[in-house]
Amino acid sequence: MYIPITVDHIARVEGKGGIEIVTSDEGIKEVKLNIIEGPRFFEAITLGKKLEEALAVYPRICSFCSAAHKLTAVEAAEKAVGFTPRPEIQDLRDLLYIGDMIESHALHLYLLVLPDYLGYSNPLAMVDKYMKEIEYAMALKNIGSKIMDYLASRAIHQENAILGGFGKLPTRSQFEELKKELKEALPMAEYTVELFSKLDQYEEVKDEEMIHMAVKPRNGVYGIFGDYIKVSDGFKFPVEDYKKHIVEKVVGHSFAKHSFYNNEKHFMVGAISRIVNNADLLYGRAKELYSQYKDLLRYDNCFANNFAQALELVYFVERAIDIIDDTLAKWPIKERDEVEIKDGFGVSITEAPRGLLVYALEVKDGKVDYVDIITPTAMNLAIMERHVRMMAEKHWQDDPETLKLLTEMTVRAYDPCISCSVHVVKL
Amino acid sequence: MSEKVKIGFYALTSCYGCQLQFAMMDEVLQLLDKANIECWFMLERGSDEDKEVDIAFIEGSVSTQEEVELVKKIREKAKIVIAVGSCAVHGGVQSWDKDKEFNELWKTVYGDAHVKFEPKMAEPVEKYIKVDYKLYGCPPEKKDFLYALGTLLIGSWPEDIDYPVCVECRLRGNPCLLIEKGEPCLGPLTVAGCDARCPAFNIACIGCRGAVKDVAWFDSLALELKKKGLKKEEILERMKIFNAHNPKLEGMVNKIFEEGG
Repeated sequence: MYIPITVDHIARVEGKGGIEIVTSDEGIKEVKLNIIEGPRFFEAITLGKKLEEALAVYPRICSFCSAAHKLTAVEAAEKAVGFTPRPEIQDLRDLLYIGDMIESHALHLYLLVLPDYLGYSNPLAMVDKYMKEIEYAMALKNIGSKIMDYLASRAIHQENAILGGFGKLPTRSQFEELKKELKEALPMAEYTVELFSKLDQYEEVKDEEMIHMAVKPRNGVYGIFGDYIKVSDGFKFPVEDYKKHIVEKVVGHSFAKHSFYNNEKHFMVGAISRIVNNADLLYGRAKELYSQYKDLLRYDNCFANNFAQALELVYFVERAIDIIDDTLAKWPIKERDEVEIKDGFGVSITEAPRGLLVYALEVKDGKVDYVDIITPTAMNLAIMERHVRMMAEKHWQDDPETLKLLTEMTVRAYDPCISCSVHVVKL
Repeated sequence: MSEKVKIGFYALTSCYGCQLQFAMMDEVLQLLDKANIECWFMLERGSDEDKEVDIAFIEGSVSTQEEVELVKKIREKAKIVIAVGSCAVHGGVQSWDKDKEFNELWKTVYGDAHVKFEPKMAEPVEKYIKVDYKLYGCPPEKKDFLYALGTLLIGSWPEDIDYPVCVECRLRGNPCLLIEKGEPCLGPLTVAGCDARCPAFNIACIGCRGAVKDVAWFDSLALELKKKGLKKEEILERMKIFNAHNPKLEGMVNKIFEEGG
């Protein structure tokens, strides 16, 4: 018996989580994803605090996507006070966010996913036989980190992304250095697509009712920021209406709420959801690869998220080069505008590496008066649990080790912030 | 050292950033022939918290009763315990409102809901067990890890940094954000080692490496900030983002306002 656990709807989903499967002679009785992270109260501790200080604290919700948290919180705050950044500042925010995407996707694919497929328990053990893959992982991760280092002071918990712009911008020669390294990284990103096109063929989880949600990119180019959310059933809604269509419910066994589309339907967010909704906005090499591998980008199989991330690696490396070219063409660029902190309410929803990230902020007298944060993993939890159950139902008669691995792999395909700790498998 | 050193990396309540920083170091690969990783759930499926280790790295704050038990177990199994990062060393940003009633914080986020754990206010690891060395920062710098690990692997012992961020900021030749621009920079009381990363980008230090041990110039900085027009509460709130558990903070700041400074 389990005592009911209730749930917070913010970010403590990254960290410790577990899978619990209860089987009987007839089959699966129960499947639960337990999120067992200690409380961090991010919404409570920032209430009544100065806006700038709260904005420094929010990224600390998650290290894997701290740039995502920072930029989404900053955009919500700017919307609240009625400020719109200049296009060239918006481009550089895109670039910073792309640094996070590249780093996060590279780490997830090579260090967290690949060992399962190659039969290792950890990525470091792969060094003897798969040195090339480890080197590519590190090189791709390094270019993502370097973008964040140069643009925002560091790769984790970037302080140099503030209301109105940046404290300081990289030099022209730093941008040129980034561009050179991005060009060198492009073949590695393409290799990742090739590698995962061979590995990622799991068909166990086939969910024909799957719904995907993603941002409708603001500038008509496949990307991160937008004012509307696209749903794969054809519906579209403005980000301000998020509470009407992303409904959170308390479930007895999870420390995080489960989210449903229009109150009842399971939905997914993440790289595959972006591709499902916005593939027509891809361009360049990624567009060619998309056409070539279209069949692997299955809308009904959560494992396709891995392959979608590989494809996005190619896209975001190319996109980063284009943003740097545009930036240098407009050089010199003023790093920031003064932002007058007025009272107001703002919502920002962006594409974090692992899917939609919501920040709703109300500002009063320069302080945070209301805040609501929903992370991608919180949105994915319900459907993730559904797919773990589908996997378990197919394999409940297999030996426990196989069942453990396959259900863990299902969870890892979502790239949740809890992937690192999904180890409490009780059978 | 002929035998491989046994290392464990353990997480309490945190953002996982310290582990991520460690995992992102290319140098970890060079460590492989010198060390065995016995426990590191972020990367290793076969991790085991019950294994004995030579060096235990702990990140995160103690935020549940279960974590109190975990740190005690780690201490029993480890020869050297290193608290890694702002959460493990100082309680982290989740301690920012530590003076508020715990139940009040709980209600703001969780309402009347109950969980099967025993949650508590975030606390530094040192509150429950002896910590042998600390890596400051949110997250610590890569060179902090390399220095500590490098010295321990050759049988030596790493030194603590006892000077503030300002020293490194001056060496870089940055303009002073506090004096010249009037910004609430916490560089003067924060442990150095980051090479004044944020002030070098014109961003005032928020103190993520925590206050300099035994010195902590909370009072002199409070006086300077008071002169610039900041209220006591504003100063306390900023200093508490990463120093809420520092026993000296409140008294030293209060003193400046009581004496009429």
